[in-house]
Amino acid sequence: MKLKNSLIIAIVISLLGTVTWELYWRSKGVKPSIDGNDALWAVERAKVDRLSKDDFVIIGSSRVHFDIQLDIWEEKIGNKPIQLAMGGSSPLPVFHDIVHTTNFNGTILVGVTPPLFFSTTFPKADSWKRPQTNVDYFHNRTYAQRLNHQLSIPLQNSFAFISETKGIDGINLKEFISKVKIGTRAEKPREMPPFHDFSTITIDRNVRMKKRMEIDTAYANSVKHVWEFFFKSDGPLPDKKSTMAFFLKDLEKFKEKGGNVILLRCPSSDVFRELEKKITPRDTVWDDLVAKAAVKSYHFEDYPQLQNLDLPEWSHLKAEHADYFTKELIKILKQDNAIPNQ
Amino acid sequence: MLFNSLSFILFLIIVLAIYYSKILNWTNKKRMLLFSSYVFYGMWNPPLVILLWISTMIDWTAGKHLAVEDNQKKRKMWLLLSMFVNLGFLGFFKYGDFLLENFVLVMNAIGVDFQAKPMDIILPMGISFYTFQTMSYTIDMYKRKTERARTFLDFALYVTFFPQLVAGPIVRAKDLITQFYEEKKATTNQFIWGLFLLTIGLFQKVVMADTLLAGTSDDVFGSAKLLHGVDAWVGTIAFSGQIFFDFAGYSTCAIGIALMLGIILPDNFRYPYASLGFSDLWRRWHISLSSWLRDYLYIPLGGNRHGITRMYAALMITMLLGGLWHGAAWTFMVWGGLHGTYLILERLQRRYLPFEITKWNGMFLAFITFSCVNITWVFFRARTFEKAWDMIKSMFYMQTGGEKILDTFTIIKVSTVIAIMFLCHWFMRNTSMKEVSQKTSPYVLGLVWAIMTFLLIIAQGSGEQFIYFQF
Repeated sequence: MKLKNSLIIAIVISLLGTVTWELYWRSKGVKPSIDGNDALWAVERAKVDRLSKDDFVIIGSSRVHFDIQLDIWEEKIGNKPIQLAMGGSSPLPVFHDIVHTTNFNGTILVGVTPPLFFSTTFPKADSWKRPQTNVDYFHNRTYAQRLNHQLSIPLQNSFAFISETKGIDGINLKEFISKVKIGTRAEKPREMPPFHDFSTITIDRNVRMKKRMEIDTAYANSVKHVWEFFFKSDGPLPDKKSTMAFFLKDLEKFKEKGGNVILLRCPSSDVFRELEKKITPRDTVWDDLVAKAAVKSYHFEDYPQLQNLDLPEWSHLKAEHADYFTKELIKILKQDNAIPNQ
Repeated sequence: MLFNSLSFILFLIIVLAIYYSKILNWTNKKRMLLFSSYVFYGMWNPPLVILLWISTMIDWTAGKHLAVEDNQKKRKMWLLLSMFVNLGFLGFFKYGDFLLENFVLVMNAIGVDFQAKPMDIILPMGISFYTFQTMSYTIDMYKRKTERARTFLDFALYVTFFPQLVAGPIVRAKDLITQFYEEKKATTNQFIWGLFLLTIGLFQKVVMADTLLAGTSDDVFGSAKLLHGVDAWVGTIAFSGQIFFDFAGYSTCAIGIALMLGIILPDNFRYPYASLGFSDLWRRWHISLSSWLRDYLYIPLGGNRHGITRMYAALMITMLLGGLWHGAAWTFMVWGGLHGTYLILERLQRRYLPFEITKWNGMFLAFITFSCVNITWVFFRARTFEKAWDMIKSMFYMQTGGEKILDTFTIIKVSTVIAIMFLCHWFMRNTSMKEVSQKTSPYVLGLVWAIMTFLLIIAQGSGEQFIYFQF
């Protein structure tokens, strides 16, 4: 066997193939980017154990993730907060984890997106399972998984084709194959419209809305169609009673440890805002939470400078407005003495 | 550490660089391999390396006494100590919760109100493999079938050798320890062939099992609905392919990595889905386990030396325990029981309805065998009997109006992959990859290798664990 020849051919052709594949995706506008996966989340979560009384941790869903810009925060406050918010999830499992498994007694900024915050405490519901999976991953991750993540970062930063993105924007082989459709055999009552990934994430888990959302209306509309799909779904109604009780119990314990909590209601608009008014009206949900929690709380409706911001898909601020929102929020927090040692 | 991970690539490069550098003599290279094997295992859960050490110490000590002791009673005692410790580990870590759960069920059934909280014991990765491997050493020592390992280092490396530590092949002492006595160095051809095997193994795992088949199998077996017959069959054959590519992929990687170090490990799979009957299947599927069960369970139970009834009983017990080896659940016992039944029926057929296997009926027989094996996979994969029974009902159209959850492309994709796999097994059943490669032009071989590597790179994989790690 002339295996040396085979090896040389294999190396040359597979390298050529890989370079072509990379160039193809770059020509399609795909850029090298970091995956906002559980491993990245776990790295940030691990930092919570080493924080001081003056530090901030942000938890919540995608809204607070998009709207608070970490570099701006660091510039204005001095310390960069730890960003643990994640899309489509309730903050309660993460809050519970921090309260019960760390000695952290600084400030936790809780992003309150009412339909998610008050959604459920049922462990198998998506909005609960998603953050709980990350929490479990953090506690159970092996040394091999930690090393894999560290080794993958330079590769993710260098190659566009390395991506864990799922769905319509997925480019790995599995996602590529899954886009092939023939006929309509499967009995699906309603199929979710294609959901584009409209954010970019950095190593510190800072998320910004992609520029394309501001300039490509069709692209932004595709995200709106997904929200409309969920609005029309027959999901369970928010469970205010159990979620509130769960949160308040953990809040009590966190306060006993000397911790501080800030509640933040980020902007939403148009159809999204109308739906929220309908299923989670401010007076019965937000106001009640604020009264019972007895912590500093900020609702975007209460501040003229936080009005009329641009939310291309009704739920998240475009990048520049997220910078503005962060700056204005910090001014408000400072005026209200909500930030320690400022 | 998983073979399909970046950390393993780095680990292997470092190990190979040190192994082939001239800074260490053979003894120190073996020490380095042993240390690396503990790192390989400890990267998953460091404290559980202690179990490996205990198993190694006990079996080394037992082997040392078995080598020099003539008193039969004392010899038996040393053997029992080894088996007690190894089976004790297995019993506690793997079957603890299962035994407790069934004890509670029995108590409740006889009217005793007894409840117990699950112990939630962590299952040490690969415990079923390394305990069986070390037990084979002490049993062979007891039967004087193998020589005592020359040094503790050789024995410890035999127990812990990283390429086959967590999912086999389960290697006998005489086949592996003796290789550690002389300095080993792969020839250039061996090294490149080992790299080729590693690529094929990873391709089987990442592209075939995880990318093409796992999703369909997960969707079907994860569905709470009663499924249409086509969906149930496609989900089952998808799992059939997934478990083969997953496990054979691991074994191929292990053999390839060992070969890159100049160590030869035995084959664990020989195109099992082209088996002509079930005896043939067990000579082709997970060969190192089936030969272990044959030598250390079936034959001691009497084998075929004490009449037909005893032979059938031995066969059934062996297969039931073989099922239980895979997992602590009754569904695995049923899987083993079905294979035991198949083996008994096959022997009855040979006795009362013998026929000659020709090239004409062979493929049909292979297809029938493959179909029957697929039925057993339902019990292996389903988490509950209810799900398994629903699947069987759907597969045999015993219920109407099942739901269609798979789209047309998925059905075509899975059917094509499985058909190609079956045909490959059929055409390869009397040959080997090495023989075929020798007859293939190096340019074609290089091209095939490149395609596999390219698909592996673009599939990326999310570091899915190998299915057999949980066993």
